[in-house]
Amino acid sequence: MNWPLAMKAARMPLVVAVLAAGVAPRVRAQEPATFFRQNCVACHTVGGGRLTGPDLKNVVARKDRAWLVHFIQNPKVVIDSGDPYAAQLLQEARGVVMPALPGMNPAMADGLIALIEAESKLEKSQFVGLQLSDRPFTPADVAAGTQIFLGTKRLATGGPPCLSCHSIGGVGAMGGGKLGPDLTLVYERLGGRKGVGAWLTAPATPTMQTLFSPAPLRAEEILPLLALLEDAALRRGTEGPVAPLTFFLIGLAGTVFSLVVFDLAWQERFRNVRRTLVDRIARRGTR
Amino acid sequence: MPSAGNYLDVALFSVLPYVALFTFLLVTIERYRGQAFTYSSLSSQFLENQQHFYGLVPFHYGILTVLTGHVVAFFLPAGLLWWNDHPARLYVLEAAGLIFGLLTLVGLLAIATRRLNVPRIREVTSVTDWIVLGLLLMQVASGVYVALVYPWGSSWFAAIVAPYLWSLLELAPNLGAIAPLPLAVKLHITNAYLLILFFPFTRLVHVLVVPNPYLWRRPQVVRWYRRAPSPARHG
Repeated sequence: MNWPLAMKAARMPLVVAVLAAGVAPRVRAQEPATFFRQNCVACHTVGGGRLTGPDLKNVVARKDRAWLVHFIQNPKVVIDSGDPYAAQLLQEARGVVMPALPGMNPAMADGLIALIEAESKLEKSQFVGLQLSDRPFTPADVAAGTQIFLGTKRLATGGPPCLSCHSIGGVGAMGGGKLGPDLTLVYERLGGRKGVGAWLTAPATPTMQTLFSPAPLRAEEILPLLALLEDAALRRGTEGPVAPLTFFLIGLAGTVFSLVVFDLAWQERFRNVRRTLVDRIARRGTR
Repeated sequence: MPSAGNYLDVALFSVLPYVALFTFLLVTIERYRGQAFTYSSLSSQFLENQQHFYGLVPFHYGILTVLTGHVVAFFLPAGLLWWNDHPARLYVLEAAGLIFGLLTLVGLLAIATRRLNVPRIREVTSVTDWIVLGLLLMQVASGVYVALVYPWGSSWFAAIVAPYLWSLLELAPNLGAIAPLPLAVKLHITNAYLLILFFPFTRLVHVLVVPNPYLWRRPQVVRWYRRAPSPARHG
């Protein structure tokens, strides 16, 4: 280590750290309606029926306001406290715990309750939810969904294909991605066409939100994807350990092959420049 | 309410990168102005040249290719996603990436073994060299691990990591999609920042003074001056 230089530089990170703190991420204040659209509609409607979570139409008539404001700020805490109403909600949601949402605070919780109250009075709320067709899915839908999943049919708004991070048993020669959850049985987990459809309209996890709230999926893309997911849940395809192993073995074979190529290519080259020259001269003599 | 994990994420992914980058820029310039002759890879080729080959060659071919891949993904994420639209092309790209990653790893292990085992090389090895080797090993091993355990990185890098890196350059770090990433990926990113941070203090600076014109300059004739062997020796 170059110590005088290191000492001089050691003072710089401090200055930079102070500067960098100034550009640390800030949570922007949001309108309750925007917040609701980005965070809530994956599981809730106002007047559109139950999804993963309950229909929120007239929720204030069912439970007092203070309780609701407290609950939506940190649902898990209320559930863990043994609150009987929270336990009932959890049971109705088949064990899916409502997440604590980034950007949530008492003011936002209050704003959301006011928004839901106002929307409940309307004949048709803007949050009634996605009205998906009820027709049975066809094999053509499944095929179209597979194309969207793989990426061979691009998403209209330019989002990355599902395969980048997700797997569905039996789809894709070397399988799908593993960064996100396996989607083989998601159709059952999230409650079928309506639940998964709503989720895809406004995905609720941070990763999906970052990717898809600027570039949401379209209804004509969601329908074939639902067909694919329904089909996958019915077939219960298993990928098994074969695909990842194949990938690893291809990598290993390629590495060994490359090493052999290097070894051959360098027979007469850099590896022993001096020795080659010296040997050659010793053999031929110099003129 | 932000948790401890949140503060750690902010420290590692929105403060550390600036510390690393500014240190890198200031110290590389300072060192070049003040101690230009220390800009060297401190080659040990003349001390040992047989084992050297099995480290040097796979490592450099591997790391240059893999780094180029990362840089292309950073500058052209949309192009990368376009290429990956067909699973066959995605698989080819990923397999190639894995092969070059493994070559880098093999090379690096060979380099470390040589430094440990050859007495003459050990003699010229400094603490800084071990830090560099340690950081590089961590970086390459975590990269290969991520490629194997969390496929398909070429696609999700373009979708998740490239926008984050751009958000850093725009001085508005967006950790939305970085915070939930698995530990191995976070380790790979954090370790990359550490490498950038240590870079200017180490022999890695040779990267900045690669004699690129060697690639296209005309070959030089090397003449050996020595006495002509006597006819008797060739009898």
